[in-house]
Amino acid sequence: MVEQIIMALLNGILLGGVLALLAFGLNLIFGVVKIIHMAYGQFVMLGFYFIYFFYTAWHIPLLLSMAMGIVAMGLIGILVQLVIINPLLKAPRLNQLLALASLIIVVENLAQVIWGADYRGIPLTMPIIQFGEIFIRSSFLIAFIGAILTLGLLYLFLNRTYLGLGIRAVAQDLEMAKGVGINPNVIYYLTQATGGALTGLVAAFFIPIYTVHPHFGASFTLMAFVIVVFGGMGNLLGGFASAFIIGIATSVTAVLSSKEIADILALVLFIGMMMIRPQGLFGTES
Amino acid sequence: MQLISKFSRSGLMLLLILLIMLPFLISSSYLTHIVTLILLWSFVATAWAYMARFGMVSLGHGVFLGIGAYFPTLMFNYWGVTPWIGIFVGLVVAIVIAAILGYTCFRFGLLGDYFALVTLAVAEVSALVIMALREITGGSLGYTLRSTGRLADMQFADKRVFYFMALILLIGAMYIWRRIDKSPVRLALTAIEESEIAAASLGVSVIRYKMMITLLSAALTALGGSLYAQYVTYVSPDTIAGVGVSLSVCFKAILGGMFAVLGPFVGSAIIVSLEEYVRISLGTSFLGLSQIIFGVSLLLMIIFMPRGIMGSMSMAVAKRLNRISARH
Repeated sequence: MVEQIIMALLNGILLGGVLALLAFGLNLIFGVVKIIHMAYGQFVMLGFYFIYFFYTAWHIPLLLSMAMGIVAMGLIGILVQLVIINPLLKAPRLNQLLALASLIIVVENLAQVIWGADYRGIPLTMPIIQFGEIFIRSSFLIAFIGAILTLGLLYLFLNRTYLGLGIRAVAQDLEMAKGVGINPNVIYYLTQATGGALTGLVAAFFIPIYTVHPHFGASFTLMAFVIVVFGGMGNLLGGFASAFIIGIATSVTAVLSSKEIADILALVLFIGMMMIRPQGLFGTES
Repeated sequence: MQLISKFSRSGLMLLLILLIMLPFLISSSYLTHIVTLILLWSFVATAWAYMARFGMVSLGHGVFLGIGAYFPTLMFNYWGVTPWIGIFVGLVVAIVIAAILGYTCFRFGLLGDYFALVTLAVAEVSALVIMALREITGGSLGYTLRSTGRLADMQFADKRVFYFMALILLIGAMYIWRRIDKSPVRLALTAIEESEIAAASLGVSVIRYKMMITLLSAALTALGGSLYAQYVTYVSPDTIAGVGVSLSVCFKAILGGMFAVLGPFVGSAIIVSLEEYVRISLGTSFLGLSQIIFGVSLLLMIIFMPRGIMGSMSMAVAKRLNRISARH
């Protein structure tokens, strides 16, 4: 039992790294474009299918398929900004929310019509690392290291490059950013492309871990939401820390009781947080 | 304006007469079934719009549908309690849950998209609870109502009984809508939507009015869920609880127009017919296709006609009439 809990703890940390990446994308879009991307997890599902399609139908090597999947999702991100978000930029927040919720219906059913409702995956055998009684899947470890590296690169991008500083400027004060000559539309497209590419990357990390089906994304949307709200909407560092808290809490609960109870726990944390501290665990503004 | 109301009133009467005669005019029980579904979902969507038109967009009405559907069904199958009683138990449970949820949400001042997100999470919790209790509820496989065919168990040889039950409920929901329009409740809720602080400073009890409309909406939604379960005799978290059905109810109302009394009915009629049409004409292999059409049309609606079909129509008519009266 103790070994099981330690293993769940480790898996929680490893999965928390990937979830941190996902939450980062959602948070970035929320902070910069100021919209709640309801279909974000569904984009992971779409990215997964793209990689699967490139690999099985066009027989492209796996790593190249993954790269193409990431690029394709980046383009989809731009498309969403162009077709859905731009016309609704001035609309009430609720309409943006509902538009993106109806995008869920479109994306999930598109996947169902094209690829069917069956579970699909690319069978890969990855070695399992063993420390005494504790086993770690190397696929989890690779995903974790990849996610942390990506987050580090994104941190450098946002803090060390002009483009990244432009993104942060728009996030902090749109009018001021316009005043110093930043074109917010370019920044919006860039943010959506980054957010989209991140879903592709998360999908690539998930390839050896999961199989995909049309409703695969829903739980990740919820997970990303829970993390983002927990860490404070728009607060990137808070999201990073809360990804590990939520990852560990759900994975340990899932071992102790069941997957459903773990999800209920995450959602109850989310609801409680929204009510008592809408600025998040690490937020400072009142 | 008087002309419009006279026009719409006679239109409504005509529609009502048509709906009452319909099951006797058409012999096809399939068509009657579709219209029954339209009436049922119209009723639920109307109840949903009670709250939404005052800015309380709930994405969690699946909770109340689920309670209304599961309680009578489970109580009948396990304990043999007649649904005539079970429905009231479901109703009471739904009101209690709505009171707890509503009070906490309003007490902490959750508004707009924050309220929508929290209710969405609550809807997901309801589906997960049904899943977690799979020994009792059948989990995601769903649960079938035991068939006895007895009147005392709310099972009728003639399915048209459900048609008229749904019709009566829908008319009742529309009547309550009109009564709200004419009562000070509407003014209070409109003031609250504009600004809670301003309304409170004028002596409007914010939480009390919001609770009132929430409990009403939840109770009617649960009633709709109960009737749906008794009619279809099958419940599952995908069809009657959780996020999917919550969103589909709100989309029906939005498509038709959630600010007009006939809006939810028009929206439900369009969506249910569209789904059935695509399902019949393209077969089950393209089941997703109807949903894609549905999703795309919703997107277009939200972008170009945010007030829905009925809202946009009445605005266009009002503009036309203004131009005519200006000419004279």
